Amino acid sequence: MPEQSNDYRVVVFGAGGVGKSSLVLRFVKGTFRDSYIPTVEDTYRQVISCDKSICTLQITDTTGSHQFPAMQRLSISKGHAFILVYSVTSRQSLEELKPIYEQVCQIKGEVETCPIMLVGNKCDETSAREVETTDGDATSKKWKCAFMETSAKTNHNVKELFQELLNLEKRRTVSLQIDGKSKQQKRAEKLKGKCVVM
Amino acid sequence: MPAGMKPLEKFLKKQTTALTRAGGFGEKATGTGTSRRRASLSRVVPFFRETSPESGPAREVFSPDTEEAPCWPSATADIRSPSLSSDEQSSEASLDTSWTPLPADTPDNLALALLDSVAGKRYGNCTETLLDDFMLTHPIFLASDRFQQVLLQQFGVEGKAGEGWPSWDGAERKQAVLSVAFRYLDTYRELLQEEGERSNSFPKELYLCAVQQLSQFPELVEDVLKLQRWTEILQCPSSEEDKEIRKKQVRPLFRHFRRIDACLQPREAFRGSDEIFCRVYTPDHSYVTIRSRLSCRVGEILALVREKLQYSEDQPTQPGNLLLVAVTSAGEKAAFRPSDEAVFTTLGVNTHLFACEPSELESLLPLPEEIHWSPGDSKLHDMSAEEVATQLVVFDWELFSCVHEVEFVCYVFHGEQARWRPLNLELVLQRCSEVQHWVATEILQCQSLPKRVQLLRKFIKIAALCKQQQDLLSFLAVVLGLDNPAVSRLRLTWEGLPGKFRKQFQQFESIADPSRNHKSYRDLMGSLRPPLIPFTPLLLKDLTFLHESCKSFHGELVNFEKMHKVAEMVRSIRRYRSSQLALDAEPSPSHLQTKAYVRQLQVIDNQNLLFEMSCKLEPKDM
Repeated sequence: MPEQSNDYRVVVFGAGGVGKSSLVLRFVKGTFRDSYIPTVEDTYRQVISCDKSICTLQITDTTGSHQFPAMQRLSISKGHAFILVYSVTSRQSLEELKPIYEQVCQIKGEVETCPIMLVGNKCDETSAREVETTDGDATSKKWKCAFMETSAKTNHNVKELFQELLNLEKRRTVSLQIDGKSKQQKRAEKLKGKCVVM
Repeated sequence: MPAGMKPLEKFLKKQTTALTRAGGFGEKATGTGTSRRRASLSRVVPFFRETSPESGPAREVFSPDTEEAPCWPSATADIRSPSLSSDEQSSEASLDTSWTPLPADTPDNLALALLDSVAGKRYGNCTETLLDDFMLTHPIFLASDRFQQVLLQQFGVEGKAGEGWPSWDGAERKQAVLSVAFRYLDTYRELLQEEGERSNSFPKELYLCAVQQLSQFPELVEDVLKLQRWTEILQCPSSEEDKEIRKKQVRPLFRHFRRIDACLQPREAFRGSDEIFCRVYTPDHSYVTIRSRLSCRVGEILALVREKLQYSEDQPTQPGNLLLVAVTSAGEKAAFRPSDEAVFTTLGVNTHLFACEPSELESLLPLPEEIHWSPGDSKLHDMSAEEVATQLVVFDWELFSCVHEVEFVCYVFHGEQARWRPLNLELVLQRCSEVQHWVATEILQCQSLPKRVQLLRKFIKIAALCKQQQDLLSFLAVVLGLDNPAVSRLRLTWEGLPGKFRKQFQQFESIADPSRNHKSYRDLMGSLRPPLIPFTPLLLKDLTFLHESCKSFHGELVNFEKMHKVAEMVRSIRRYRSSQLALDAEPSPSHLQTKAYVRQLQVIDNQNLLFEMSCKLEPKDM
């Protein structure tokens, strides 16, 4: 199956119920829902800027269970960047990311060129917190990847998550449109050589 | 609403590019015109020769016979429909000279006549045929619920002599009812199991009645025990455990969710209650994966999609009604109605489901993977024709065996029979299309001319082996694949073929010749003894012709002669499957590889793309 060469593929992994779909839908649609619908595999497409041109950001939301190991391997091998999500309310969910991280390393080989973001979601749940920010930070240092805490519910850090992930990409220049930038700011940045506004 | 009727009608009529349907046939005008659901064209088109942009009008492989107005055959006239195949004309049952067709009557009276016959008072040794006729076709003219009611009534009736059941005693009558009831339960077992408690009420009721009568009619005790067993069989599994187990088993149907281990297992029949995963795309080619019952209504599918996409959140612009649309690999679109059911098995091989708003319908585009193709190495070169043919035949038998007899009836008469979906039959048709396109895809993917010639040889050999093993489904599918205009235009490739292969292929092509009502094919069929697999699209065409050339009803009276003819056709299918195919011993590792390959074919069914590929291999002469 031929891939579009100008797709930028981000894959979201994590245990069931940590909020992968909520993060993705909050980013793509701006909405949030409390109800839990287990995902099998969904992919959302969005036009973004890339190397002074445009390309398609393709975000694949995966299943938290392990029904389709072959599908998981395939999405890792085709993916450009990865978001590993756990819930700060569940230490277990952080543990469950380990084998996924190892599989990414194994399939991708050079993990340094591959943007990976460790995400602690549900940071709005202060009373139910099991994983401290420092723990998440420590794990990310061990894995040599970036780290962020988010809340899909309160829309905290969601857009930043995706923008930061794109910023990590060194093989090409990819960027989302950032809300609030004035036309002047955009033009100035364009002159500086950065691809910005869509 | 005739779900499957549409594609079949298409290949009865000349192929057109429009998706619009001509007027209705038969006594019941079906559908409401423009808003009707359109089935995927790519499911139908393979049964015609494809039109190529440069050649003239399509030469049709299966062209319709004259479309005659619905007729009402008289009881004494020679009721030989031209579509009866020659082997049927020699079948014993229908030429039994003592056979007199049941005169037309109301559905209820027919049921009573059946009970009469079973009780042995009329029709003598034709009872079995009558019973079989009735069982196979009654959903066309008598709703199951009504039929069950009649049986229950007749069981309980304390008839006196002269009241329609002359000279019978109570036990005989009751045993006749039970005999018919058991036959009914046996025939419709799987369907009734799907319906759970609703269907269980019938044997329960009958059981309770019979138990009450045991003191008066002790000879019924065997039957009563049998009834009790039936109530257990039809009982819904009530334990939570069972429900959990069934919940977890989602069956692979669509390509993305196939697993090799599942593919290698013998195929089991699909049921409406089976759950599958399916991708539904949006206009920008994003997709969500939903989990759904096979028999699901389109409205429910859209509700699942809406839920996934969080559509009913408080958004400034509420999306209007969502449409579910089937988009073929070539970009043809067919919109479903919310009431349509069991649509998954009706899709063409590379047809995808889209959910969009009505305003977006026109601009829907097929997925990129359907309009581009990056050539890769085919594994077919390393496989022997013998192994491939064997695996094709084995798989065809698995698929063919999964089709319940009643599916053949309800595929054609689905307007009347809304309770059962011919899922497995539709999958057989899909397989036929898949094999045709596989042949074309493999050849057109092969860049090297000598290798392409080798492939031609291999396919002709595979066709020959399928024919030898009496699998006419794959035999003709391969032949039609080689007849694809994108393939047959490869002059240099065909010229490289040794004479004897060309000759053999010409013979095969002549079997596919539709003239004189497919005489060559029918002659071949007539010479074969079971087990054999017929070319299913033609079989369905014959059934459809029968359905459309004769009315089912005349006013309130059922044309039972028509029902008899329908049942005769189903009986011929029964004969085809009446003996077992001799299967080889456990396959070796290389066989397993071939087996996996045959069961997971990757095909291109976008005719435009196939043509593009063909022109790249052998450019058009200027």
